[in-house]
Amino acid sequence: MPKHKPKRGAPAIDMTAMCDVAFLLLTFFMLTAKAKPQETLVIDTPSSVSQTKLPDAGTLTILVGKDGRIFLDMTGQHTRKSLIDDVSSRFQIAMTEEEKIEFANSGSFGVARSQLRQWLNLDKADRDKISTGIPVDTADVNKSELADWIHNARLAQFRMKQEGKVKEEYVMVLKADKDTPYPAIQKVVNTLVDINVNKFNLITNMEEDPNKLGTEKKSE
Amino acid sequence: MAEMQVAESGGKKGGGKKRSKKMSTRVDLTAMVDLGFLLITFFMLTTTLAKPQIMALVMPEKDIKKEDVESVKESKVLTLMLGANDKIYWYEGITEPTLDSTDYSAEGMRKVILDKMDKVKTQFGMEDYQDFKTKEPRKGSFVNVIIKPTKDARYKNLVDALDEMAISKVRYYVILDISTLEMDFIKNPARGLKFNAEEQLEAATQ
Repeated sequence: MPKHKPKRGAPAIDMTAMCDVAFLLLTFFMLTAKAKPQETLVIDTPSSVSQTKLPDAGTLTILVGKDGRIFLDMTGQHTRKSLIDDVSSRFQIAMTEEEKIEFANSGSFGVARSQLRQWLNLDKADRDKISTGIPVDTADVNKSELADWIHNARLAQFRMKQEGKVKEEYVMVLKADKDTPYPAIQKVVNTLVDINVNKFNLITNMEEDPNKLGTEKKSE
Repeated sequence: MAEMQVAESGGKKGGGKKRSKKMSTRVDLTAMVDLGFLLITFFMLTTTLAKPQIMALVMPEKDIKKEDVESVKESKVLTLMLGANDKIYWYEGITEPTLDSTDYSAEGMRKVILDKMDKVKTQFGMEDYQDFKTKEPRKGSFVNVIIKPTKDARYKNLVDALDEMAISKVRYYVILDISTLEMDFIKNPARGLKFNAEEQLEAATQ
C-alpha cells in the first residue's frame, strides 16, 4: 500500500471558537462601555488615599476649572428635563421642547441662565466659546445662579424619586483641578453651605495610602 | 479545510447546465476574528475603567449659635495655613504663637501633626471616645486641626491637607476662612499674633 502523502499547503485552523470568544468579549466591552461624556472643561484632579468610589448614578457634580469657571453636571435625563421645565417657567425663558430635550441630553454646562438658549442651539464644538461659567453671587445667595441650579436640581431629583423614575437622591460632588485657586473653591463651598448642603464629596484620583505601604514610614 | 469557495465568475458564461457542486460550508473566519479583536481593542481602550475616588467633606453649618460651641483646650489646637507655592504656615494654640512653616511631604506636614499628637498625648493622656462605626468605647489622643487656606492656595493643597487628616487619623478638623490678622502674621511673623478666644469665636460664628 502506498504511503498516504500528506497534503502540502498552509495548515488551516478552525477559527470558529476564536471568533466566538472574540465576539463575546466584544459584546461585553460594548455593553459595559459608557460613552465618555464630552467635557468642555479639562480637569486634572488631585489625588488622595480615599477608597470610596464615585457612585454611578445620582450625582450632581460641580466642576471648577483651572481658570475658576464653574460648570454643573447632573445625571438622569428625567431630572434634567424636570429641572429645565421648572427653571424656564420660573424665569420666563421661552424654550422650545427641542431645546429642553437638548438640555436633558447634554453633559455639563457652564453658561449664565440668560445665555442658556443660545448655548443649546450652538454646535457642541462651539459651546465652549460662550461658556463663561455659571455666575455665583457670593453676597446674596438668592441671586446666585449656582445656588438656584443646585437647589432646584436636588428638588427635581427628589420629585423624580417620588415618581419612581430614579432610585436615589443626589450625591453632591465637587470636581476641581489641582491648580484651581482656592478662592474659586471657597465661592462654591460657601454657596453650598448657604443652601444647607454641608456634606459633599471631592473627586480625587487614587493614591497609595502611606499607612499601608510599609511600616517604616509611619512614625511610632 | 477552511478555505472559502469562490464562485468562478466564468460560471455563467459557461452556459451549459452545470450541476452545482456540493460546496463545503466552511468559511474562512480569519478576517472576522481580526475585525473582532480590532473592535475589542478599541472598546477596551476607550472604556474608562478606573472610576474616580471620592473623599467626603463635611463643612460646619452656617449659623452656629454661640451656646452650641464647645470650647477646646488651646494647647490641643493646631492651625495650618495653606500658603502660596505649596507652603504651609502653622502655629499652635492662640496665645502668642510662633509661626513655623513646612511643606506637604511626609516629613513636613505629617510630622508636624504627629508631633502635635504626641505632645497632646503626653500632656493630657488618652481620652475616651466612641468609635463612629463600631460604637465601641476606645481611647485616643486628639488634636483639633484648623485648616485655613489663604487666597494663594491651590485646590491640590486643600485636598492634600484633608488627605493628611485621613492618613494621620485626625478626628477633629475644620476648614475655616483665614483672618486678616493671620495674613499679617504670615507676612510679619516677628510681630506676633494677638487675638483672643473671644474674637476667634466671633469670627467662626459671625
